[in-house]
Amino acid sequence: MSNADTLTSPARRRGGGVGDLLLSELALLFRRRRTWALLGALALIPVLLAVAVRLSGSGGGPSFVGDIAGNGLFTGFAAITVAVPLFLPLTVGVVAGDTIAGEASLGTLRYLLITPAGRIRLLLVKFAVAAAFCLAAALTVVVAGLLIGLALFPVGPVTLLSGTEIPAIDAVGRALLIAVHVAISLVGLTAIGVFISTLTDVPVGAMAATVVLSITAQILGSLSQLSALHPYLFSAHWFGFGDLLRDPISWASFGDNVVLQLGYAVVFGSLAMGRFVTRDILS
Amino acid sequence: MNPSVKRWAPFAAVPIIAVAAAIAIPMTTNAAQDLPEKTPQQLLEFVADSDVTAFSGEFTQTSDLGLPDLSSLGSGSTTGADGDGFMSALVELATTSNDARIYADAEQGARLQVLDQLDERDVIATADDGLWIYDSGEKTALHVTHEGSSDASTPPADVPTPSSVAEKLLDSVDDTTAVAVGSNGTVAGRDVYELVLTPRDETTLVGDVTISVDGETGMPLGIAVTAEGASSPAFSVAYTSVDYSTPDSSLFAFTPPAGVEVTEKAIPADAHSDDAAPDDSTTPGDAAPEAPDVTTTGAGWGTIVELAAGEASASLEGLDAITTPVDGGRVLSSSLVNVLITDDGRVFAGAVSVDALESAAR
Amino acid sequence: MTSSGLAVETRGLTKRFGRHEAVSSLDLSVPTGSVFGFLGPNGSGKTTTIRMLLALAAPSAGTITVLGSEMPKRSASVLPRVGALVEGPGFYPFLSGAANLTRFDAAEPGTSSRTRSARVAEALARVGLSAAAAKKVGSYSLGMKQRLGIAVALLSPRDLIVLDEPTNGLDPQGTREVRSLIRGLNADGTTVLVSSHLLAEIEQLCTHAAVMRAGRLVAQGGLDELRGATAAIEIVTPDLDLAREVLARFGLDATADETSTGDSTPRLDAPLPDGVLPEDLVVELVAADVRVRGVAVRRPSLEDRFVELTGEGFDVER
Ligand SMILES: Nc1ncnc2c1ncn2[C@@H]1O[C@H](COP(=O)(O)OP(=O)(O)O)[C@@H](O)[C@H]1O
Ligand SMILES: [Mg+2]
Repeated sequence: MSNADTLTSPARRRGGGVGDLLLSELALLFRRRRTWALLGALALIPVLLAVAVRLSGSGGGPSFVGDIAGNGLFTGFAAITVAVPLFLPLTVGVVAGDTIAGEASLGTLRYLLITPAGRIRLLLVKFAVAAAFCLAAALTVVVAGLLIGLALFPVGPVTLLSGTEIPAIDAVGRALLIAVHVAISLVGLTAIGVFISTLTDVPVGAMAATVVLSITAQILGSLSQLSALHPYLFSAHWFGFGDLLRDPISWASFGDNVVLQLGYAVVFGSLAMGRFVTRDILS
Repeated sequence: MNPSVKRWAPFAAVPIIAVAAAIAIPMTTNAAQDLPEKTPQQLLEFVADSDVTAFSGEFTQTSDLGLPDLSSLGSGSTTGADGDGFMSALVELATTSNDARIYADAEQGARLQVLDQLDERDVIATADDGLWIYDSGEKTALHVTHEGSSDASTPPADVPTPSSVAEKLLDSVDDTTAVAVGSNGTVAGRDVYELVLTPRDETTLVGDVTISVDGETGMPLGIAVTAEGASSPAFSVAYTSVDYSTPDSSLFAFTPPAGVEVTEKAIPADAHSDDAAPDDSTTPGDAAPEAPDVTTTGAGWGTIVELAAGEASASLEGLDAITTPVDGGRVLSSSLVNVLITDDGRVFAGAVSVDALESAAR
Repeated sequence: MTSSGLAVETRGLTKRFGRHEAVSSLDLSVPTGSVFGFLGPNGSGKTTTIRMLLALAAPSAGTITVLGSEMPKRSASVLPRVGALVEGPGFYPFLSGAANLTRFDAAEPGTSSRTRSARVAEALARVGLSAAAAKKVGSYSLGMKQRLGIAVALLSPRDLIVLDEPTNGLDPQGTREVRSLIRGLNADGTTVLVSSHLLAEIEQLCTHAAVMRAGRLVAQGGLDELRGATAAIEIVTPDLDLAREVLARFGLDATADETSTGDSTPRLDAPLPDGVLPEDLVVELVAADVRVRGVAVRRPSLEDRFVELTGEGFDVER
């Protein structure tokens, strides 16, 4: 058999980067009505919180909720605190669990691979897009919280956990920093979701499994008998964003979180690659 | 080899390496380091001569006392009714791990921040402004000042950090304790000597106490207490990071934020401020809890503390679930400390066997 | 072109699903430049074979060469030169036809984003979907989706196009259009591998064909080869013995057709070797005073051959 290069073939650039595909998949994510429904549901959390506080006119309840009436900026902090344990993992589970299994169930996966998108390239792009959703989701909660707080309550200097007051504008900066921390916190779960998504052609199954794992991790995290395991749970630093509200900021848990989530991304990313590269696409 | 196995291999290798690294890296950081050799005596003097006056650092305290699950006792909040506060503070110390930051400067004062999840408890001690205890969760602040104003009787060392606790421990080293130098290691990224204190007293449950000493500055960076016969520490406090530069002076200036309930408490100039130790977690509004009527028997490692009936026993009620009945009372047993609650309400506690407590109660 | 002149070649290609062998020791040879019909009843292993050709599924055994390169090893360099429709189209229903094509085009490494919309419009035009380009695929009919699926294969110039049951769901007009599309592609030098369980749909189209049955290849080659090279000649005459003598001179072994119905004139049937021309036979027969009332040269239809090869015909077998 002769060399493939002697074949006449249309001239084309080889080994194209990830750029076009990434842009196209990002655009696809934010063109889906489902994505907006998820983000809308997340934005509803601070709105409900703020309205409830406004109507009852009283504080109390979980962290930061009691501060909302006095300073609207706390709506952002309160909303992210409420969203972290369940609502954010839920939406991230839906998006991450859908990455590969969703394409498989629609039959688009085989066409992407024939195109050829390249299995590893496609997986990396899908993971990046799901991670981008994490950031969008966390920002949605925080920004919606700041806006509704601004609309319904007075706004002023914010008292940090250490008792120091900072100007409102700095508090907004910290709120955005918290969104970044929370987004990073969800990267490990995203990697797990993408891995599970490569195991099945049924997206709902992958989504449910991912969400169940996120709850399991938090239950394990609350069992003091398993304290040796706690630093290694992907949910270990989910509430570590409190460290960004200290004076001075404690970066330890932010840094630990980055390393931990990176570890999860590497471990479950390679498992996903191993599975996806060797898998028969029969959907 | 199965072709699919072959294609899997490189991807399977990555998680294996990552997990191995996660396990191995914390171990290798404890590998022996090159520090000039010191005898136990030299090391004790090295610590005593340490001239660190300003530093900041973050440290973690962990306990693994082998206690039953105490979470039902509500260890979450450290404040509440007096006795409750005392008990839950103890329970918290015994069961959970705490992260805290310390800023210290001999010139200005000291600040301890206990980094609770989404909350913070601060203790700020300065020469000018006395002592502030701030609880962000309860939104309360206690301000303890000394009558006769600006005296410097609140030394930074009142804050229980690895350094201060270790120094107190070393101060009391006498012939009841064998002192040895262990293998060198790393704490908070710094090379440390290990000073191992082993009780000569046979009755105590304490196996040994290991103090990690910064090889450069002589400041203790960690303490680990290991129970007799155990392999891992039952209690440890150690810095995770330490910085010997002078902390920013703004850290020592505390103004209670708006909306915080502030309690002012003045102490006569000659009184000692020990009562206001930070972990007492007092509820402002009340006076700091009076120390229960305490008597001690024995000495050194085998010391037994006795609380008279009625003082603390009230808060020990409802402990049936986690205590075991013995002759004449109930026992709360852990690897390091035993507590005997006699039927008549007296409480005996010490780092000694239950038998020793029982004979003290008789 | 490859020295072997084959666009697709498999040797001993086998695929097992658990203990069930969906494809067994397949030796497929698709000549470059051909329109290759890949025929077989439902469940005979056509789609499974195509998945392996396109590196979607790994073979359990055997080798695959596509456009001269080994698959799935060289899929990254081979697949850009291959367009395919496999087991029905797959699209995001909430995106328009054009947006779906744009997405697949963006997924292909090295395609230029500047010319993307032009490529998409061109592909849509070739399958006659220009008018529906902006409509959501969810509102497409089955036939329109099928056409859009073919359009995906046409986004870039290809050396090989694989179409798995391309006429599924198409009306007769659509089927004709697909046929002419395939002819057009082939005329441009593209090799087309087209699978079907309906012989009639592609018989007029193919230059070559392979027939699958229960995962095994039962026949393949040029269309004439498949039909059976030996045609038969039928002579209607009352002079059976005389005619048989004449035919014997040409080396033909004629047999009287006993089954011919009652009152009609008796017939002789004989296989017609390649070198013998029917007109020469007729001249000789007439010269020998055989009363020739009718002559017919018959080649067996592919359909006959098919039923013969696949047994019952096109029932699902497993
Ligand atoms: N994912 C699968 N798992 C198990 N068996 C399969 C799978 N896909 C196809 N098969 C089996 O392989 C055989 C061939 O199927 P297929 O290639 O789809 O046939 P065709 O395309 O010729 O109709 C069938 O018996 C089918 O049941
Ligand atoms: Mg098929």
